[in-house]
Amino acid sequence: MMQHFPVLAVMLLFLSAFIVEIFGAKSKAVAQGIAMIAATVSAGLIYALIKPVMIDGQIISYWMGNWAPVEEYAIGIGYEVDALSLFFALLVVTTFWLSGLYSIGYMNKDHHLGHYYTLYLMLSGSVLGLVMTGDIFNLFVMVEIMTFASVALTAFRNFSEGALEGAFKYLVIGSMGSSFTLTGIALLYAECHTLNMAQIASILAGGLSPTAIAAFGLIIAGFGVKSYMVPFHTPAADAYTVAPTSISMIFSGMVNKAGVYGMIRMIYIVFRAMDKGTVQQMLAIFGAVTMFLGVTMALAQHEFKRLLAFHSISQIGYVITAVSLGSALGLTGGLFHAMNHTLFKGLLFLTAGAVLKQVGTTNLDKLGGLSKRMPHTTICFLVGAGAISGLPPFNGFASKWIIYQAIYTKAVESGKFVYVLCTICALVVSVMTLASFIKVTQAVFFGQLRKEHENVTEAPFSMRLPMYIMALLCTASGVFYDFVNKYLLHPAANAALNISKYIDAMMGPGYAANARVSDMSVEPVAFSYWNPIIWLVLFGVLFIGAALVILGGRNERGQILSSSDPSQAKYDTFFSGEKEMYSQVGGSDLFWGFKSNWKGYYKFMEAIHSGIVNDYASMAVVGTAVICLCMFLFMR
Amino acid sequence: MIIVNYIASIILIVLGLYTVCTKKNLIKVVLGLGIIDYGVNMLIVSFGFNDGGTAPIYQMSDLLNGVSTKFFVDPVPQALTLTSIVIGACVDAMALSLVIMIYRKYKTINADEVRRLNG
Amino acid sequence: MEILKSIFYILVFPGALFTMVAGLWLAGVDRKVIAKMQKRIGPPILQPTYDFFKLMGKETIVPRVANRLVFLGAPVIGFISLAIIMLFIPIFGFTAFSGSADLIVILYLITISGVALIVGGSSSGSPYAGIGISREMVTMMSYELPFVIILLTVAKKVGGADLVFSMDAIGAWQRANGSLLFQWSMIPAALAMLLVIPAEVGVQPFDVAEAETEICEGPLIEYSGAALGVFKLNTAMKMIIMTGLFTSLFLGGFTTGIVALDVLIFVAICTVLTLLCMTTIHAVTARLKIEHLFRFYWTFVAGLAMASLILVWCGL
Repeated sequence: MMQHFPVLAVMLLFLSAFIVEIFGAKSKAVAQGIAMIAATVSAGLIYALIKPVMIDGQIISYWMGNWAPVEEYAIGIGYEVDALSLFFALLVVTTFWLSGLYSIGYMNKDHHLGHYYTLYLMLSGSVLGLVMTGDIFNLFVMVEIMTFASVALTAFRNFSEGALEGAFKYLVIGSMGSSFTLTGIALLYAECHTLNMAQIASILAGGLSPTAIAAFGLIIAGFGVKSYMVPFHTPAADAYTVAPTSISMIFSGMVNKAGVYGMIRMIYIVFRAMDKGTVQQMLAIFGAVTMFLGVTMALAQHEFKRLLAFHSISQIGYVITAVSLGSALGLTGGLFHAMNHTLFKGLLFLTAGAVLKQVGTTNLDKLGGLSKRMPHTTICFLVGAGAISGLPPFNGFASKWIIYQAIYTKAVESGKFVYVLCTICALVVSVMTLASFIKVTQAVFFGQLRKEHENVTEAPFSMRLPMYIMALLCTASGVFYDFVNKYLLHPAANAALNISKYIDAMMGPGYAANARVSDMSVEPVAFSYWNPIIWLVLFGVLFIGAALVILGGRNERGQILSSSDPSQAKYDTFFSGEKEMYSQVGGSDLFWGFKSNWKGYYKFMEAIHSGIVNDYASMAVVGTAVICLCMFLFMR
Repeated sequence: MIIVNYIASIILIVLGLYTVCTKKNLIKVVLGLGIIDYGVNMLIVSFGFNDGGTAPIYQMSDLLNGVSTKFFVDPVPQALTLTSIVIGACVDAMALSLVIMIYRKYKTINADEVRRLNG
Repeated sequence: MEILKSIFYILVFPGALFTMVAGLWLAGVDRKVIAKMQKRIGPPILQPTYDFFKLMGKETIVPRVANRLVFLGAPVIGFISLAIIMLFIPIFGFTAFSGSADLIVILYLITISGVALIVGGSSSGSPYAGIGISREMVTMMSYELPFVIILLTVAKKVGGADLVFSMDAIGAWQRANGSLLFQWSMIPAALAMLLVIPAEVGVQPFDVAEAETEICEGPLIEYSGAALGVFKLNTAMKMIIMTGLFTSLFLGGFTTGIVALDVLIFVAICTVLTLLCMTTIHAVTARLKIEHLFRFYWTFVAGLAMASLILVWCGL
């Protein structure tokens, strides 16, 4: 019974997409209802798989149409859910469920909601199918469905500025990436004459021929386009900005994780190239460049969602660097950071959406002081900003710490100085991420409120509920790291490194032994900084600190006063003796000292991100060429 | 192993990439995307070719005899190519509809002028 | 018993009370010596302590545009994070708590205390505070780069083939092999650390975030009463923490065996370091502009730290 759940989850989403298209055109409530029911059932089916796959260690394999392998040769399309797939599937279902919940409040003024929910269900179904499939061409088809649905959703609000343009660029670059992937798959088929990933893994176990190396390079480039590595990152910035925010959250939470999942699957399981020094160093360098470029571009942005888009690119750089190291520690750190990125970046996009809906603009130069009018959104935003900057006790700290340790350990083990530079880059990028979010905090939430925003209200409850849930998950997964590690990360890392079990589950027992597939053993990663003594520390010191501030500073009647009455001059802000007036330091006014030192760099970067489709396409071609060249010249 | 087909498909892919990277008219960019897809399709279908093979269709007489003496080309790449052609058609359709809407909104389809999102 | 001991460590020594007392002592010494250098008599050495208690008794005014929760919570967060750091820094062989990754935890807790100042200033809603926090954040970005390079260098030097991030292990290595300052490949790193300390604490010439003459105390402009008192206390605590960190990282090679004597020697060394890297520079230099500060840290100081890292990497 359990083995039907993955296919049921995926098919249910596609089926309900068609049902919504037929019945949802007239009534908004019908469309929303069908979409949420489908999302909930699908999510329930995937959550039900946690026990057998993660805890008991089974691998669920399902052949479509019951076309089991004939004479040791795979002829059907197989779905295989091991711990790695289930890890990503859990992220996918959580994200699209929360996004559906958010859409109820967020999209309630848009038209054509029937189409919106159709596309949303197709997008969700395709990403879910992508992470659970065991057949390489099915992977490609799912990638294509994901691209179409994403492009259509990006252009959904076609009246808004730049939506069509962003969608077009996304389509061009995304389609080029898919073509590269397809070429790689074709080459792989020519080499192995089978499309089943488990069988390909066992055929390639003997060694990689030049065809396989070419295929590997092209497929990695293709998945790099999907996960928005540099230099393929350019459509991400545009697409995340113009898409409706509930969809931006899906993009940053699911779609680039699909690219990362594809890379992990290819490197670790199909090609088994994770112990080749070339691959590790090349991807580590790409990851470090991605991190750095993402965050420096983010510091120069004037628009809230575009800033968040560049941060998404930067955080995926962390994941790619961690995953490329080929060690258990790196893989654990990378997977944990992928999960945390989904949570905190989703939260940040939801707060941006709340601001956009309530205020009407996300231009950082035109906002300010919203914490007085939208207090819950502010708290959720501060949780998200703390998580992304890597402050304890949020989850960003735990995962970034594992990544730093993984990269530096790799540097010492392999003796290559390039990994030391990657570590330094990662640590500095973390501080710059913090700087960027301080900028947003000051420009949007603190500071002075504009006159025209004085009647802004808090976001409706249906929009705040997903924010609360995600903020809670951010904090919980940081504090209860051991729990997350034991049940989610350790099985997933184990599954990525133990390939023979994967192959056996798909093709029948004993197949892997025939193909001389060997394994790596994984120990659980110990993380000893969080123990009960620390709780005691915090509690004791919190007590004194709060006492200091609360007991001191009261006036003769025992209160700490403030007043919203404008006639009480005591509570004005200080303007060197002049009358209080509107003067907000926000957006582009911040970090002048930093930006003036990097003028040449920013001029170059802004020239590159010119907005012209041809430039972006050339960057993608150059990136692919570099990856393929590296593979060919240095693969040993 | 048909070298001519492989070379031709590589040339098509390169031409398509060239078109996407240099032509300014958005419709030409879409055409370039299409050319890349056609090149890749030709590559896939060429991989399945077996010299001297016939079409991969069993006739009733072969099945009734129990043993097949037919030698045919690989059917799987043909299936992959069909799927890929459909996907290519969908990409072109969606891209062209976006170009139409861009023309209505921006009054131009020159890539140098459709660049309100930049930096 | 363990619980009581832990509570003692947290609240009295080497936690909150010890850090407060030692920090206020260093702040007082700093002010007195600057005054003597400028041919004045200067305030008594206990002046910062008197200031702290005075501020505790004053009224805290929360401005109208400020976010009350964050405004009052920021100094508390800063205080907590700084009080916790001292628990991880070994005082010549005596460590209250030690884990396996102390250096990274210390790095992040220092970052949190900086963030507390920034967020507190931001929440007050004043434009002067806005400029101040922008400068403070750029200062933080500037000194983080050499600081992380120094920490990575120490970790590699002490650990060799495995990396060691634990302060206890660093102390043990130094007791066995001699202080890190006496290894000549670590001298550039020590110099870089001496230059990072004034920026972290916020003394001239690197106090552009609190430029009294330009932006009227920057982030702290709207603070008054107990909240201001706690922020000033945080600055003083940072003095002892940063000089203490330098002592245990670079000078941790000897111990007398008696905890009380060790503590006295530790505070004495920290006082000497304060005079060296904070007071002297404060008395003789003017304030740097923010873009010059950034360039200074990312070229000169980072270059020193990088030189040390490369030397250590090559096995020296």
